[in-house]
Order: sequence, then structure tokens, then C-alpha cells
Amino acid sequence: MPQHIKRLIIAFSLFLALFLVLRQVLRPESFGELGHFRAKAIPENAMRPMHYTVTDSCTKCHGGIRSEKDKGFHKNLKCEVCHGPGLKHATYAGQFKNGALPDSLKLYKPGERKDCIICHQLNAARIKIQFDTINTTMIHQIDPVKHNPGDPDTKEAFKCIDCHSPHQP
Amino acid sequence: MEQHLQDLYEVLSKVDGYVYPNEIELNWSILIVLYPYITGLVAGAFILASLERIFKIRILKPTYGIALLTAFSFMLVATMPLVSHLGKPLRAYEIMITPHSSSAMAIFGFVYLWYLMVVLFLEIWFDYRRDMVIWAGETTGFKRFMYRLLSLWTTDISPKSVALDNRIGYIVTVIGVPSAFLLHGYVGFIFGSIKANPWWSTVLMPVIFLFSAMVSGIALVMGIYIILSKIRRQVIDMNCLDTIARYLFYILIIDFTLEGLDQIHRIYVAEESFEALHKLVFGQLFFTLFIVQGFFGTILPLLTLGTFQFYKPRAEIRKVIYLVLSVLILIGIFFMRWNVVIGGQLFSKSFYGYTSYKVGMIGAEGYLMAAIWLIVPFLILSFLLWLLPPWKKIETDHGNLEE
Repeated sequence: MPQHIKRLIIAFSLFLALFLVLRQVLRPESFGELGHFRAKAIPENAMRPMHYTVTDSCTKCHGGIRSEKDKGFHKNLKCEVCHGPGLKHATYAGQFKNGALPDSLKLYKPGERKDCIICHQLNAARIKIQFDTINTTMIHQIDPVKHNPGDPDTKEAFKCIDCHSPHQP
Repeated sequence: MEQHLQDLYEVLSKVDGYVYPNEIELNWSILIVLYPYITGLVAGAFILASLERIFKIRILKPTYGIALLTAFSFMLVATMPLVSHLGKPLRAYEIMITPHSSSAMAIFGFVYLWYLMVVLFLEIWFDYRRDMVIWAGETTGFKRFMYRLLSLWTTDISPKSVALDNRIGYIVTVIGVPSAFLLHGYVGFIFGSIKANPWWSTVLMPVIFLFSAMVSGIALVMGIYIILSKIRRQVIDMNCLDTIARYLFYILIIDFTLEGLDQIHRIYVAEESFEALHKLVFGQLFFTLFIVQGFFGTILPLLTLGTFQFYKPRAEIRKVIYLVLSVLILIGIFFMRWNVVIGGQLFSKSFYGYTSYKVGMIGAEGYLMAAIWLIVPFLILSFLLWLLPPWKKIETDHGNLEE
């Protein structure tokens, strides 16, 4: 075999060997143990702090609101959709019975127009529904500029919750 | 107003009609337009080189080396738009370390490596080895070191070894042609196999990509050849240039026909997506599809090259026209990729709405980034042409050995 072909084969073999070595070195340790992924990714993700809880843990203390909510349009919404992540609140708030709840455990109480129109803002890209049908799969839309903007005399803006109960709108 | 509401207003102002939330922002930006464009240039340039080598079209000899080096330079950069689009360059190697047969992208890593190392590198190596050995003796310093390193410190330039080089080079090119088809067919395959997208999902996609790749690669080498001759103050071999233009003409006809066939098929079948696509084509894509890709990138070059088949103006004029056509075709094919990649994301899969795309200047997905990945291959090519000038090679007739 001519000299240059030999050298070429050696160069390619070195390249291949380097690739195989790198493959061994760079391949993540737990890769392939459970499937075509890094097995340690599962415990790593499980260790991440949790923020959300289940609606049933809210019901333990706020059962009245839950039964109110279950009768209206918002029955399919989790409490945390409006009030934010509540695991910390659900775990520790029970220890502060007398209203002395520290700020870090307080949940968000949406009550302003801006809160409601996150979902109910008129949106051309959403399917319109008739107001007289009870349908929880579609969202009522209003134009926040035209829909009862405020008191005509005092110019004070109305809040949505002045007329609509957020738990049973 | 609250920040998130402002953001919402801004997002919704881009949308027309009913669009699913995950369709508002385009996930595949200008960098993903660039990626099939660059791989296409590689495949096209290589196929032009193989015309000389395998199909023995001797008249293309002056562009053989340029075509190979062009293919190699662009190949080195081909994956970079993908890497910068994904934004995690330090993880990019993982596709090669933990590939899965169900991932077309992972398999492409190996197709890419095969094409780069086994086809392009080996063909250039066997083609230049004797010259590198000779040049190593004539030069000093960095060049001498590079020639020695690249020729793996070999010294054998006996006629027998050169003949062997030629034979192996020929075999590599024979393997290379299906590899080039595979490389670019794959890019079309990726788009063609996205079943949910009626703008992409057609079995013709790999074939269309392949022929448009050939068109763009040949146009690129033609342009580079003209400019290079101008820079080197050399007389352009008009016979060679006319032949390239003739092949460009033939392949452009096939490409045009295939794309026309694809559209006619769409119109005839008129599936449920037809109305949405019809609006898209005559709306947001009108300029890039009909004006740039269709008229300037295809019809105008076709008519001009077609006219040249029976009426040839003076060489000086032809040269300028060829250069202009090569630029037009390159822009046209770029916008062909644009129309496929961006166009396929502009309409909602509900067929009830459209989103819009505006390319920014700066940032990881801006057109400056895209421009960088288009300029870098030319810098690599300049370096390679300086190191391995095809015009300084000893003439070898690739034909003698195989016949």
C-alpha cells in the first residue's frame, strides 16, 4: 500500500478514535439508563421547588367560596389562575388563624379592571360567544373602553367587581 | 397601561384573524432560511464539480477547483445558522454524541460529517496532494507548514501514486454525487415530512430543494469565477462560462417545472388549506414569491439564458449579463427558501388567520447575524484560494484514467 494512503488511513482512524473517546467522555453519566435521555434529569427536575397546589387544598378553609364558584362560569378555573401560586399559603396559612398573616404568605386579590381584561379583553383572534348561553369553554369578551367605563359625573372608573362577583360572575 | 397588557396589544397587532397562541411568534427565523440556502449552495457547487469529473465535461475544467473549494467553504459554515439559532453552542456537539435514529436532525449530523470528511475533504485532498507536496518544496514559513501538514508529510509524487490519487478521487466523486443528493434531499425531507403544514407537506419537497440547490450552487460558482477572473486580471474562458450557463439553463427549467407542478397540483387538488394558502400567496408572500423568486429569480434568467442559446451577444456583454443573472438567481433562490420557511409559518393551522414576521437587525435572530454567516464562507474561500490556488495546479486530465 502506498505511503500516503497508509497515512490517510491512520489520520482517519485517529479522527474516528478521537470521536469515540470524546463520545465516551462527553456522554452524560446516566444517559440511556431509563431510555434515550439522561436518567438523572428526572430527580433533578423533581428537586425543583414547587409553587402550585391543588384546588382541594384551598377548599379545606375556603369551602364557601368553592361552592359559590362551582355554580358559575368560573367553575372550571383553578383558584390559582387568578390568585397566583398558592402552595406556600396552603401549607402555612393555617397557623395564623387570627388574621395576622405575614405578607409573604398573602395571595394576590385581583379586583381591578386590568385583572379581568387579561382574559375578557375584546380579542379579534378569539371566537365570539352569545352572552345568554352558559358555556364554560369560551370566554366572554368586552371592550374595556366602552363597557361601563366609569361614573359619568365623577369620572371615577368602575371596577368589574362592583357589578360582577368574581367567584360567580 | 400595565406592561403585560401593552405586550399583549403589541402581539395582537401582528395577528390577523384567528391564530393559535403558539403561532403568533415565528419559531423559525431568517437563520433557518439561511440553513437550507447554504447547504443548497454546497450541493450545487459540488454537482457542478462532478460534471467535470464524472460526466467528463472537460470544458468546465477552469471551474472544477473553484467549485470544490466553494462547496468546502460553505460546508464548513452550513450548520452555523442552526447553532446560532438554537443559541446553545456549547451543547451543539450532543447531537453527535447521543444520536437517535428517529431524529432526522441527529442523522443529519452524520450525513453532514460524511459529506464534509469523506466526500469533500477526500476529493480535495486527492486532487491537491501532489501539488501540495510540490508547493511544500517551493514555499517557506506558514504556507510550507500548512502544505506539509495537509499532505500528512508525504513526499511520494511518482506517476503511479498520482494515478492512484486520481482513481480514488474519481471513486470519491462517484460516491459524492448521491451524497450531495442525500444532503440536500434531506433538507427538503425535513420540511416535506411536517404533515401538519400543508405549505410544506409534499413529497416533491426534497426534489424541489435539490434542483433549486443545483441552480443556486451553479450560479454561485459562475459568479465567483467571473469575479475571480476579474480580480486576477485573467481572461475568462467564455466557452466554459457559456457551458455553465447552458447547464444552469437546463436545471433552471427543471426546477421551474417542478415548482410549477407543485403549485398546479395544489391548485387542482384544492384541499381544505387551499383558500388560506391562496390568500397567503397573494398577500404577504406576493412580493417575495411572484416578484423576487418568480420574476427576477426564475423567469428573467430563464428568458435571458434561453435567448443566449440561439443568439449570443458580444463576450463582454455576456460576461456582465452572466454576473447579473448569477446574482439574481442567488437572490431568487434565497427567497425561495424564505417563501418556504417563513411562508409556512405565516398562516394559522386553523386556516382562519395569519401572523406576520418582521426581521430585526441586531440580536441572535437578526439579519446582521445572517449576514455574518453569509460572509464567513467567502472569507474561508479566500483563504483556501490563497492556500490552494486551483490555477497553479499542474494540469491533470481526469479523463485519461477511467477511460
